[in-house]
Amino acid sequence: MVTCLSRPPSLARPATSHPGGLGWMVMTDHSHDKQPGPAMPVGLIETEETRAAQARADATVDVAKETDEERRARFEREAMPLLDQLYSAALRTTRNASDAEDLVQETYAKAYGAFHQYRPGTNLKAWMYRILTNTYINSYRKKQRQPLESDAAEVEDYQLHRAESHTSSGLRSAEAEALDHLPDSDVKRALEQIPEDFRLAVYFADVEGYSYKEIAEIMDTPIGTVMSRLHRGRRQLRELLSEYAAERGFVASGAKGAE
Amino acid sequence: MSERTDCSEALLRLYEYLDGEMSPEDCLRIRAHLDECGPCLKEYDLDTTMKALIKRACSREPAPESLRTTIMSRISMTVIRIERQR
Repeated sequence: MVTCLSRPPSLARPATSHPGGLGWMVMTDHSHDKQPGPAMPVGLIETEETRAAQARADATVDVAKETDEERRARFEREAMPLLDQLYSAALRTTRNASDAEDLVQETYAKAYGAFHQYRPGTNLKAWMYRILTNTYINSYRKKQRQPLESDAAEVEDYQLHRAESHTSSGLRSAEAEALDHLPDSDVKRALEQIPEDFRLAVYFADVEGYSYKEIAEIMDTPIGTVMSRLHRGRRQLRELLSEYAAERGFVASGAKGAE
Repeated sequence: MSERTDCSEALLRLYEYLDGEMSPEDCLRIRAHLDECGPCLKEYDLDTTMKALIKRACSREPAPESLRTTIMSRISMTVIRIERQR
């Protein structure tokens, strides 16, 4: 038995649900996002053409006819270059390096165990983000005991907020400028303060540039929920960052004079 | 498209506009509104600033080399186990 690589139950779905299921399998390919892999010894450096040819072959491989060793090599070629991105996302998700490493390790183990279900040529990074998100929610969230904010009634909530938020508009430009001067550490700190569902939605939208539909698929939630998580997450981030900017003295002094 | 967009609609849909999730027609409407409404434009500027700020702050961090090694060796071990099983 392969004991260390149990297949996550959630991953059985993409393979069984298509055609017409989640639409997961037809997600856009972001292969241009891929970064070069680890440095190779001199003499083994791949040219752009051989790498592109290999990527084309990997995108059209017949999974059923692949040997274990071929699949392992393909996984290595396709999934390992995503390591830094997955690690960065895991750091933002778990909020500490040790948990991030564990989460990424588990994500790779599960992804490898289920790699025969991944349809070649589709968006592998998004597929792995989905595993990471699932793994986090199923194990780490319990461990970290993060409060979960309910999605209920949030649509009305953010709509109300948006409708009122425009009345006090006097300081906005100065506020934007103040936020722009905040150090990265403040932004990361603010991200850590907001509920994880909001944080993940914001991360996928703003850092990875995923569409609402892609985020919905990664987080296994309706698009409307993604939109409200983004609204609420961004609103909370903005409040926190405005506070930090005020603490640093960025806002109060410059704002009034500028307007 | 010829309908006028009011502030409440513009504000409600600003994120969709910002995230490129709108139809071209709706984009034009929001854009027309932003052109003539200073307060909404400021709001939009702030949202744009925030989005860029978050992307900047979360730039990619290299994974520790030990993590890469561990993952690679776990994968190789799995192949060996599967082969032994046969």
